[in-house]
Amino acid sequence: MKQVVVHPERCVGCMQCMVACAVAHSRSGQLYTALAERPRPRPRVHVGAGLYNEGFPNRCRHCDPAPCLLACLAGAIFRDAHTGTVLIDPDKCINCASCAMACPYGVIRFHEDPVAPPGKTVAVKCDNCDQRVAQGLAPACTEACKSGALTYEEMDEAMRRKTAEVARSVSTGAETAAVPPALALLMAVKKAELSL
Amino acid sequence: MQHVILGNGIAGVSAAEAIRRMDPRAGITMISDEQTVPYSRPMISMLLDGSAAPEQLPIRAERFYEDLGVTALLGKRVDAIDLQARRVALAGRAPVPFDRLLIATGADARRVEAQNDGLQNIFTMRRREDVQAMLAALGGTRRALVLGGGLVGFKAAYGLMKRGCRVTMLITSAYPLSMQVDETAGKMILDELLHHGLEVRVGVSVTAFEGRTSVSGAQLSDGGKVACDMVVIGKGVTPALDFVPLDRIDVDLGIRVDKHLETGAEGVYAAGDVAQCTDIARGRPWINAIWPEAAAQGRTAGMNMAGRAVAYRGSLGRNVMRVFDLDVMTLGLVDPPDDGTCTALTWQDPRRRMYRKLVLRENVPVGAVLINAVEQGGVLLSLIRNRAPLAIPPERLLEPSFNVRQLMGWG
Repeated sequence: MKQVVVHPERCVGCMQCMVACAVAHSRSGQLYTALAERPRPRPRVHVGAGLYNEGFPNRCRHCDPAPCLLACLAGAIFRDAHTGTVLIDPDKCINCASCAMACPYGVIRFHEDPVAPPGKTVAVKCDNCDQRVAQGLAPACTEACKSGALTYEEMDEAMRRKTAEVARSVSTGAETAAVPPALALLMAVKKAELSL
Repeated sequence: MQHVILGNGIAGVSAAEAIRRMDPRAGITMISDEQTVPYSRPMISMLLDGSAAPEQLPIRAERFYEDLGVTALLGKRVDAIDLQARRVALAGRAPVPFDRLLIATGADARRVEAQNDGLQNIFTMRRREDVQAMLAALGGTRRALVLGGGLVGFKAAYGLMKRGCRVTMLITSAYPLSMQVDETAGKMILDELLHHGLEVRVGVSVTAFEGRTSVSGAQLSDGGKVACDMVVIGKGVTPALDFVPLDRIDVDLGIRVDKHLETGAEGVYAAGDVAQCTDIARGRPWINAIWPEAAAQGRTAGMNMAGRAVAYRGSLGRNVMRVFDLDVMTLGLVDPPDDGTCTALTWQDPRRRMYRKLVLRENVPVGAVLINAVEQGGVLLSLIRNRAPLAIPPERLLEPSFNVRQLMGWG
């Protein structure tokens, strides 16, 4: 089964995934109308800054076992038996933040959401775009990512590709770097900026 | 194999499910004095403040016991454990034999020593019935008195204020939640409550209650009086273990267990608020009577009872609560002893009402307090739990921009 794979070394911090995610989880599903919607559509993937201000797309790992699921006081968090996605039932959620206290990646947010009862603040996180996937589409964040930091592929294949990339980059006379030269330069500049 | 579980709180429920997953044919009997399907005990305070409806409380299906193949003996409290004959004695019923026994009886609310404490409308808040009784009495309540500034007292006060009562809280320490938060956070919480109309009296206790059938006031240790038509006692809990044979099962603060949650008596386990484990942050025996640890202990005990040796790493105190406009999260050891073994870093942004504190032992995080913007709390919790030395400057962890990527170093 395909899944979203994160390649943090390729993230340029453009936040296009956040925009795409917010739009995908809006009522209208269109950027321009989504801007006017209330509650304001919000992303479920969060681009943060690493130690030298490099980008980092942080999203739910759908852990198994999932600490948030085990910690949920209201029994609102569950795993979809078919897709393996960890989901939050907005009708059962009591906004107690026990899941935020349990999540080792810090990916859960609390706000009103188009899928929640009107006016109710609930816990919100990545749902793997299960609805888009059911329609044959890829998760919105992977579709928007142009630097290859978020891909939608078979995990085995991603691992093989990565192993080959690393192997090539350490071979003698290697001409291809593990990340494209432009990205490597960007990261080098960011590191240099910090040391200045 | 006959498994008997005492208690149907989250520890008992998690144990029963773990046993069933490991062994589809094992006999499982659950004995509890609460006569319902398992419900979420932390949510009873939400029943009081009106943010949850009664039907939201159950955490398992109506047919939980039948579906899991569990014999449920409800409405019964255990009288004694006979370790020789390996059976438990119940009032008005034949003894129940066991091969493996789990004591997950939890804890009972502590009462106060005061005259006339048998008057009506004096409550403790531990069970769903307690809150239901409080709600039934709410119609005639204008002024409520809450004893204790701990979590329960605090949630009772919050709930009653939300219901429109005038609430007076009596606390013995200088600020509420003194067991959970440090002074700075405690003062912020107190200010928030005062701002919303709570009356707080510090350093006094109740000596006697007044009233004919129902409580109408209380006399205080400083000679003063408070008029009230409801009293809620939030003076902590004591482990429910009066049936435990103390000559065979070692009891300190709670029932002592080893890393497999087994007591000194072979085949007898304990989990949840009744069990005393090692506190990860303190590094010594402690009871962290909180729901997520009870769930984890129940699960671990269940697996061990079913024959799979699984070690429990120890418990960690933690809490998260939303107090009007403040979100408060506390993790591990937040008020370290003043013996030079721990250092504390703090960060504050009064404008956004944010406060953060990180407690370190050498370079290992052992505790944290977060007020507002609590989303990264779980990252800190897993650091504390893993006892891993920090590879980055600890100040980083206090910044609002902190995220899990930064823990991966400079790569």
